[in-house]
Amino acid sequence: MATIQESPNSASAPSPAPVRGKINYLTALKEAIDEEMGLNPDLLCMGEDIGLLGGAFGVTDGMAAKYGTHRVYDMPISEAAIVGVACGACLNGKSVMVEMQFIDFISCGFDQIVNMTATYHYRTAGEVSIPMVIRGPAGGYGGGALYHSQMNEAWFAHSPGLKVVCPSTPSDAKGLLKSALRDKNPVLFYEIKELYRRKDIEEFVPVGENSLVPLGKARIAQEGTDLTIVTYGQNVYHCLEAAKILQNEGFSAEVIDIRSLVPLDEETILTSLAKTNRLLCVNEAPMTCGFAGEILARMAEKAFHLLDAPPGRITRLDTPVPWVKPLELFVLPSVAKIAEAALRTVRF
Amino acid sequence: MLLQLYLARYFDVRLIKEKKRGRLKGTLYSSHNQEAILVGSLFGLKSTDWISPIHRDMPAFFLKDARKGWRNPDRIGMTIQEVCAQVWGKAGSPGRARDNWSHIGSKKNRIIHSTSMLAGTIPAAAGVVLADRLNGGDALCVTYNGEGSTAQGVFHEAINFASVHKLPVITIIENNEWAYGTPNELGYSLDDFARRADGYGIPGLIADGQNVLDVYDKVMQCVEHARAGNGPSIVECKSFRAYGHGDHDDDRAAKYRPTEEVEAGRSRDPIAIMKRIMVERGALSPEDATKFMAENKGAAETDNSDFPPEVVAYLTEGVEFAVASPVPPAEEGGMWVFAE
Ligand SMILES: Cc1ncc(C[n+]2csc(CCOP(=O)(O)OP(=O)(O)O)c2C)c(N)n1
Ligand SMILES: [Mg+2]
Repeated sequence: MATIQESPNSASAPSPAPVRGKINYLTALKEAIDEEMGLNPDLLCMGEDIGLLGGAFGVTDGMAAKYGTHRVYDMPISEAAIVGVACGACLNGKSVMVEMQFIDFISCGFDQIVNMTATYHYRTAGEVSIPMVIRGPAGGYGGGALYHSQMNEAWFAHSPGLKVVCPSTPSDAKGLLKSALRDKNPVLFYEIKELYRRKDIEEFVPVGENSLVPLGKARIAQEGTDLTIVTYGQNVYHCLEAAKILQNEGFSAEVIDIRSLVPLDEETILTSLAKTNRLLCVNEAPMTCGFAGEILARMAEKAFHLLDAPPGRITRLDTPVPWVKPLELFVLPSVAKIAEAALRTVRF
Repeated sequence: MLLQLYLARYFDVRLIKEKKRGRLKGTLYSSHNQEAILVGSLFGLKSTDWISPIHRDMPAFFLKDARKGWRNPDRIGMTIQEVCAQVWGKAGSPGRARDNWSHIGSKKNRIIHSTSMLAGTIPAAAGVVLADRLNGGDALCVTYNGEGSTAQGVFHEAINFASVHKLPVITIIENNEWAYGTPNELGYSLDDFARRADGYGIPGLIADGQNVLDVYDKVMQCVEHARAGNGPSIVECKSFRAYGHGDHDDDRAAKYRPTEEVEAGRSRDPIAIMKRIMVERGALSPEDATKFMAENKGAAETDNSDFPPEVVAYLTEGVEFAVASPVPPAEEGGMWVFAE
């Protein structure tokens, strides 16, 4: 039988390398888990193939050897039981990081997330809180086809009691994951698998407490004056590309990466709208009841008087994500679609 | 044990009467005729063990650790006041009446908070004892489930996981022959639900759910198995649902179930069986055995003189507390979505 060799000094806190280069999104996630596992002896990890193998993408590589199989659990292929067992462990004093092998499979654990875990604090009138993070690889543009490409964050933003987070940079991946692992509430953490090893977004990321990024604070990815584009996840990069096209046409776009859907930093969006008076929201998920629509609705309620043009949105078509490239790009938001909508808005 | 059987029965009877009197609203899920499962399975547990009861198990909340004495303040279980306040939807409920009926729990009392989702708390039971073991404890968890709930995917997922890690989770299957309006032959191609255990390589025992001593005996075998580090097990308790699924279903249940079946199912009243055994063993005199005749009667046919006075007094305290307790303020509906 395969066994995991535990390293001798397994309990010691991680020691940062003396000289640090730029790191990628995946390494940033790994560092976050490693640091928090080192700091919090009550933090456990549960997921499919996360121990011996180190995770399908390697996010938990080496964790079982370092922290032991009593803290890092290779779970049966049972998404509902993984979440439910984690919930029970949290009820009895632990914190748990749950890995979904692909975020698409989260639907198999849906009831345990939305009915069992999300409601625990509420239905016990505050007696119990469940410090659980459910994280996993999400998103399209990689030819993953229907069941390895989804962004299903709206299901959970629609379930009170859950926080929902989606980082787009290595710094945010690390900082938000660390904050999520310290949060008293269940947090759904959407990792963008196409960004895991993307070279051009590698950056210097701090070690330890300096790397923390609070949940519920948006990031201004680029400042601008003529249009506010609100987005998150992989679309941040599409929007930045579109902003260049706008610039060539003489317009300046502000790109806001909300980073956290629940809680949502409305303040940053409102402040931006007071300056630009125009709004475009972009998300990778389907249009109907998607989060771009939620932002539009809130801004229509709170900032109608600020708007000089009809607010718009670019989303996936209301279809599944097809496999082959031309079809996939046809349904997903693209730089061209975003730029076109943005120009329409600024020229209104 | 006999006194606890009376208490569980009286809880059921009294709530039905309170509803008839107009002092109580909401659906009641009767444990009438199934009380031996609760009393027998709880009796041998340690105070520090966990339980996970569901809709048919309301008395479990106040019977937990009741061997120490119902009124013992050191008992690790809910008081009758707390349970009644919950049934009445009052602020005195441990969950402040945010969800109804059996959907309460307590970390302090080691009772997992149930939801409506059948079998939905078995994974949490596994997680709770896993955490307990990591914390150096030896607590086990007894979960209660109807036989209908064994068809849920999560039932399988959770017990499979528990078997891998040899977690001390004892799954009680209350086989009362019916899942709401569906008889077992329409739900299963299986006579003995205990055989589900074979699929996980764990022991599956069958108990006579009408005989509290047999339930106790079989559960204690599983408790020893678990305490010795050998992991989970299943105990199927053969029983019969005496009335409707809930009291809203009493009239329809009288039609969808054949009279002979219902009469046969009700004929083995757990209180009567316990008394007979006690008389046979000389633990109860034949005269004392006829003092309180709660058995073989529906709620309407009993009155308080059919129950021991301490049972009536204890429950009355709970009911009066619940009636007097205020409804929580409306603003609480918006509270406790997130932990600060
Ligand atoms: C997941 C889920 N599906 C359906 C229901 C509705 N429901 C509540 S109780 C019940 C029957 C349960 O039968 P069984 O498990 O045998 O328990 P019993 O009521 O007989 O004690 C049903 C269908 C539910 N609560 N949860
Ligand atoms: Mg049943």
